[in-house]
Amino acid sequence: MVTEHGLGKRKPLGAGIIFIILILFTIWTLFPVVWAVITSFKEPGDSYKPTFIPYKQFTPTLHAWEDAFIATRDRTLLALRNSIIISTLSSLAALLLGAFAGYSLARYEFKKWKNKDIALWILSNRMFPPVAVMIPYFLIMQRLRLLDNVLGIIMVHVTMNLPLAVWLMLDFFADLPKDLEEAAMIDGCGHLKAFFYIALPIAAPGLVAVYVLSFIFSWNEFLFVIVLGFRKAMTLPVLIAGSLTVRGLDFWKVASLSIISIIPPVILAVILSRYLVRGLTMGAIKE
Amino acid sequence: MASAAIGKRKVQWAFLLPALIYLMLMAILPLIWTLTLSLTKWHANIMPKPQWVGLDNFKYFLFEDRRFWNALGFTSMYVGISVTGELILGLMLATLLSQKFRGKNFFRVVYLIPMACPPIAVAFLWRMMLHPDIGVINTILQTIGLSGVKWTTSAKVAPFTIIMVDIWEWTPFMFLALLAAFQALPMELYQAAAVDGANSFQMFVRITLPLIAPVIVTISLIRVIDAFKLFELVFGITGAGPGSATESLAFYVYVIGMKWFKLGRGSAVSWLFLIILLIFAIILISRFKQKRTT
Repeated sequence: MVTEHGLGKRKPLGAGIIFIILILFTIWTLFPVVWAVITSFKEPGDSYKPTFIPYKQFTPTLHAWEDAFIATRDRTLLALRNSIIISTLSSLAALLLGAFAGYSLARYEFKKWKNKDIALWILSNRMFPPVAVMIPYFLIMQRLRLLDNVLGIIMVHVTMNLPLAVWLMLDFFADLPKDLEEAAMIDGCGHLKAFFYIALPIAAPGLVAVYVLSFIFSWNEFLFVIVLGFRKAMTLPVLIAGSLTVRGLDFWKVASLSIISIIPPVILAVILSRYLVRGLTMGAIKE
Repeated sequence: MASAAIGKRKVQWAFLLPALIYLMLMAILPLIWTLTLSLTKWHANIMPKPQWVGLDNFKYFLFEDRRFWNALGFTSMYVGISVTGELILGLMLATLLSQKFRGKNFFRVVYLIPMACPPIAVAFLWRMMLHPDIGVINTILQTIGLSGVKWTTSAKVAPFTIIMVDIWEWTPFMFLALLAAFQALPMELYQAAAVDGANSFQMFVRITLPLIAPVIVTISLIRVIDAFKLFELVFGITGAGPGSATESLAFYVYVIGMKWFKLGRGSAVSWLFLIILLIFAIILISRFKQKRTT
């Protein structure tokens, strides 16, 4: 009897071992996050002790959370606000530019260079190391007086996300059958209208997937936000890095800030989980 | 009819150009600027303008600077071990989870958490957990009778600490991708093999592995290219220490450019870095070129 993917008949004992391995791996995977949550509810003095159960082993407190949202409220909210603004806007811009470009590469034939070559050239931009443009970006933003300005970081994040946005939108549009658009154009609808009223709505899941993926990358980005933004344009990653003082790390502070920075991308990734593999493997594997 | 053709040309270029122009301005031009800077000497904190030095910077890094080779060596070792570890673990897990059973989707959702977290948050969380004296990991080890490990303070252990955290973070990528690839395998082959009397190990080695091999190559290349850019884990967990034991290439470039402000040197070493990645990128792009049929 063949079960999925030819791995043979599973006896109940085998199933038990598999489950144990999975549970172990789950503990390994979740431990840091769970530990961070627990630590964020501890008194500073307790924060490095290996106690896990609230009330029985330690007294839970809101100290860390109060510190983040009341004592250092201005910085926390500033970082949060900047993270939201930068991620939302840069992903939107990347999506717009990417959707247009992806559509034209999927639907129209380019005579001078082959569509495939243009698309691959765009994709290759994703593969150079960010540090290779770190110095020019610093100089450019310095000249444009956009250092420590969210607009400067938005511009850089768009550059980071655009190649994948174009490539993925090309992938999504290429998967859509041309029939509806062609039928509409026979009925007299122009190319622009066909794009806006037919192709875009049908490709909506792709649009959402690309937007969310760009959002996650932008939210998590670290190198450019510390190089190009230090105070006014500070994001959550910068705030977390800044909690490293001469004394060392305040565990409880880092725990609470980390949780704040982890929640949005994790939720988004879970929502996006259907397209996550496709996005991360640049369309190489589709679920 | 001619006007429709012209209309079409306008639309197709109007749609494509914004993205192309943006990339030209924000990606290609800066890269060229880095290249020109790499041929100069410019200690930006004390020199107002760059000075031409030709290939001196490149000669320095390739022939004189041990720290460059140290960073390259560490980064390469880290990439090799991490990606291999992630691949093996991911393959194991994907094999286990490809059976049908209840709760499968729960595991799939849980396992994507490490990938979604901001890497710098991951770095700082692990730094705290792995603190040699007061970290929770060592405390637990000591409670069960083992001695604590010098996770971040031993030059021999620290590189493997970085590798371990990277494996924690990115095994889910390999796992989810391979799982998706497994779903696409045709059942008929396995059924036919079962009729011919093959056991599950033979089926795995003779059917599954060959079919999965292209996927393995592609996702490994993707992961290698991304792993080479290692920065946040070094910044957050070890600060490249002890000494330079865990200094990655990206971190070294950052130090040269943003801490020492040696813009000429920094540009040169980042182009060396770029060339290394280019090799892998060319291989990956050519694989994508073969696949696409549009």
